Amino acid sequence: MAQQTAPPPVAPVSRQERWGRVVATLLRDPTLGLGLLGSVLFVVLFVATPLVQVIVQAFFDPQTGDPSLEYFRRYFHPVYRAHQWRVVWNTLVMGSCTALGGTVLGLIFALTLARCRIPGQKWLHYLSLLPTVSPPFAIAIAAILLFGRSGLVTRQLLGIQFGPGVNDIYGLDGIIFVQVITFFPVAYLILRALLERIDAAMEEAAMNMGASRRQILATVTLPLLIPGIAGSVLLLFVESLADLGNPLLLGGNATVLSSEIFLAVNGQYDQQRGAAFSLVLLVPTLVVFLLQRYWVSQRSYISITGKPSSGQILITEPWIRWPLLLVTGLGSLLILALYSSILVGSITRLWGIDYSLDWQHYQAAFNRGLNPILATTFLSSMATPLAVLMGILIAYLVIRKNFWGKQSLDFVSNLGAAVPGTILGIGYIIAFIQPPLPVVFGATVVLAGYATWSVLARRCWGALLLGSLLGSLLRWIGPSLSYELYVGGIGALLMLMGAVVGWRSHLWKGGLLAAVGFYLELAVVEPFVTEPIGLWGRTLGGDMAKLLTSLQAMIGVIFQLPLTLVGFVLLGVVALALRPEARLVGRLHLGLVAVTLGLAFGLIFAGDPLALVGTPYIVIAAYAVRSLPTSVRAGMAALQQIDPSIEEASINLGADTQTTFRKITVPLIVPALLAGAIFAFARHMTSLSAIIFLTTPRWPILTAWILSEVEQGGMSTAAAYSMILIAIVFGAILLMMAFVGRRMRQMGGGLDLMMGGG
Amino acid sequence: MSYLVLRDIEKRFASREGGGQVAAVQNVHLEIERGELITLLGPSGCGKTTTLRMVAGFESPSRGELILAGELINQRPPNQREMAMVFQSYALFPHLSVFENVAYGLRLRSLPETQLRKRVLEVLELVGLEGLEQRPPQQLSGGQQQRVALARALVLEPKVLLMDEPLSNLDAKLREQMRTEIRRIQQNLGITTLYVTHDQAEAMTLADRIVIMNRGQIEQVDVPTQIYQRPASAFVADFIGQSNLLPARVIDREGEMWLIQTLDHIVRLPSGAVAQPPQLGETAQLLIRPEAIRLHPQGSLRGKIQRVTYLGSVVEYDLTLGAQQITVLDTDPLRPQIYALGAEVNLDFLPGCLYLLPA
Repeated sequence: MAQQTAPPPVAPVSRQERWGRVVATLLRDPTLGLGLLGSVLFVVLFVATPLVQVIVQAFFDPQTGDPSLEYFRRYFHPVYRAHQWRVVWNTLVMGSCTALGGTVLGLIFALTLARCRIPGQKWLHYLSLLPTVSPPFAIAIAAILLFGRSGLVTRQLLGIQFGPGVNDIYGLDGIIFVQVITFFPVAYLILRALLERIDAAMEEAAMNMGASRRQILATVTLPLLIPGIAGSVLLLFVESLADLGNPLLLGGNATVLSSEIFLAVNGQYDQQRGAAFSLVLLVPTLVVFLLQRYWVSQRSYISITGKPSSGQILITEPWIRWPLLLVTGLGSLLILALYSSILVGSITRLWGIDYSLDWQHYQAAFNRGLNPILATTFLSSMATPLAVLMGILIAYLVIRKNFWGKQSLDFVSNLGAAVPGTILGIGYIIAFIQPPLPVVFGATVVLAGYATWSVLARRCWGALLLGSLLGSLLRWIGPSLSYELYVGGIGALLMLMGAVVGWRSHLWKGGLLAAVGFYLELAVVEPFVTEPIGLWGRTLGGDMAKLLTSLQAMIGVIFQLPLTLVGFVLLGVVALALRPEARLVGRLHLGLVAVTLGLAFGLIFAGDPLALVGTPYIVIAAYAVRSLPTSVRAGMAALQQIDPSIEEASINLGADTQTTFRKITVPLIVPALLAGAIFAFARHMTSLSAIIFLTTPRWPILTAWILSEVEQGGMSTAAAYSMILIAIVFGAILLMMAFVGRRMRQMGGGLDLMMGGG
Repeated sequence: MSYLVLRDIEKRFASREGGGQVAAVQNVHLEIERGELITLLGPSGCGKTTTLRMVAGFESPSRGELILAGELINQRPPNQREMAMVFQSYALFPHLSVFENVAYGLRLRSLPETQLRKRVLEVLELVGLEGLEQRPPQQLSGGQQQRVALARALVLEPKVLLMDEPLSNLDAKLREQMRTEIRRIQQNLGITTLYVTHDQAEAMTLADRIVIMNRGQIEQVDVPTQIYQRPASAFVADFIGQSNLLPARVIDREGEMWLIQTLDHIVRLPSGAVAQPPQLGETAQLLIRPEAIRLHPQGSLRGKIQRVTYLGSVVEYDLTLGAQQITVLDTDPLRPQIYALGAEVNLDFLPGCLYLLPA
């Protein structure tokens, strides 16, 4: 106000002060703080650590531990040089051809299905999506059935006799053919989404100014699509490089980087060789990833998040329309033939010789493969909520909150699926064969520091010291106690403290502490309950035995979480449940915090912390990391559709961040979350490249199982497995669609599923 | 002390073009009495919404103090400020019914169900939405959604009601209706209200006092009549209503009267007609509202008509007086004639309607 005296000058906000404010916000809001720490811990542990480990491993001899450039020197070594460069060359040829071919086919499909009116459009749409929900090498199996040495088309119809010198499906050309069919739907989806979002008014404007259909296509439509086309080429290039299943099945004598990595680790047991090839593979992948993130995305004229524009200008000129229709038709027929051959192959007595109907392959599959079928489905389902929760958490933090390192969190969370699975897989082996102590230790310090500081502020040093002492004591006496006594004792103590907290403070806070304790008691009791089930099952024999032993193992997975993770959770509980209150102050408060810390340390460092190789948890983590970007993107899309003032309104009416998230944000994004869950589950079920390194006889993975079946020549049994896998994924999709569909009608529509269209 | 005080509030954001900071709000000092309705009025980007959001707690001031009922509330999180806000987009929860939207805040306060029902139904009746409790908000018209948003805020009996351009999404007719209604409810409940708008008619009808903001600073705080008749600056005069600002020079002082030269005439202004005491010889601007100019044959000034706009209740003329452009509103229903384009007319400034502003 003009009449007011000027305020005294105040120094501008310093960087330090701003930092202080950020930390203060995190401390005031434990949900936000823990969410951030939790998601950072997850991506550091399961994305960053394995990748860094691979890079490091490439330069060290695993036997002696000395630095070594052995495998990089081979690129210049007279004996090895030819082979080394051959592999790189093959990889680049495969990637480029697949990227270009897949994008062209995808563009043709997109133009046909978005811009030509043809009957059965919707069915063509779904048909072209089939490769995205089937196992990564289903097309390869089909290609062998149809075009292999005893293929239906090649041998039966064309009568080709394969001998030396005759080009067959095996080799680089075969891989490229199969990859184009497998990956073109990705290009199709991207380009179709773009085409539908081009405002018809732009093309109408061009027409209005006198441009012909051909000129419009060349001067308006295609230029608008160029960023999408570039993005699709880059994406397909990376997908092709990352693919492991097809090169293994069809490579023959031609190897590419991904199959070399696999052979090095699983055939020659040479991690350094695998890591060195991984590093070579990582370079083009990362370059493309960065190009796409920071170059292509900035050059797009059309935002993908927008709604499809209402009007579409149809292509009616016959000389454009008919070639489009012809290619689309032939492509669709090919896909149909390939998938039919899997189906027919799975119910044929002996492919190539006796085509009579026979169910024996399914019998064999369920007989020998029941365990992998159950295990894969179970682990995939367990990883689904993890991926979706992490995805929505990261999306929420990135979209709605401002904090330093936000871009890095987004970046690293994407990285886990952007790098080829083979690299991530061997990274997991290297990182988790021994306890990753530096990471565990760092995480403990950060979590414990955050938790105690947020509940005790300046008095936290005493609690940390006491807690560390107690933790060391537990670690010291731990080995002399039995597992049951150690874990059960900690659980009992926690339940006791929960009772105290519940009595002095809020019931739910005590409940939180007691719940962790109760979980530990369950972990102790669980084997005594489930082991008899397994034993009893074995007396029954047959399928029942397998079912019951699987059941026993699955229950075990739920109740035997690594103690380190339980310890991390307990540190989080400190921040939530032990905030100071009128009746929870002074020595009692300090003591409770210190003892909880000590127990948490005792859990975190019990046994071999996070030596996860061989356990099912590493498979779950790998699954979740591979599908994380899908979930993050689904979450972001959903959050961007919610007006931020809706959340502000809730806070303004008196709710805190946590309540707002629970009562407002989550109900609004549930449909998107479920849709994200479908894709995450499908991705888990069909993933191979990372998982093949982590599968064990106890936890066999179906995709890896199919691969070995093909290698042994059991094409029809492999086809049967593939059909079963596709059926499980489709079952899940239908189940969730039914649920999501109902939810969406309740909400009055609004969210369009990524599968939409057609 | 006043009920709600904004003491020398300042808000800076990191500048978009790297490096420095830009001040979105500066030197804002405002004292609001209990039960008062204050509108923050200004062009878009003037900092009015930022000020409101700082009061609500969604932004924190870079400097200055917020005091509610004698208590410093800078550090108090938004969910504990006991202020309710009506958002421009209404921000109704799409997954909750009208009833549940209104009940949301009460449920957070664990009110017994019977009492909660009673209060929700009461407030829905107050805003005229009886019978629509079970509807989802998307099925309501814009005006009804607006009422739900208002009811949701009122039901909490907040210490301060904050409204962020609440009527900007309604059509003109409904806007007029809603603003009298908001005023009625606010008066009935005696609720302290801070109301952001860029619509001057809205500010004029609603406000006890109007705060005019420009470029992050307060230009003037006053009751509507004073804002219109005694604007503190040329910006305010120009922003509120139509105005003619004539170049002027202060030439002498005779007792309580200032002698001002403008358009080759000398006019005398009483000291009540100057915004702030000028220096002799200083250049200034003389404000004359278009409706305070009379066109009649005996007028002492002579101008030429450049544009005529017939608006029904008034006729608007653009004239040139020598080199000066002015606008005249002829509001006389008995007007003898509508002058034609290019006509030469005589005119007079109504005495007592001139106001001197600093240059």
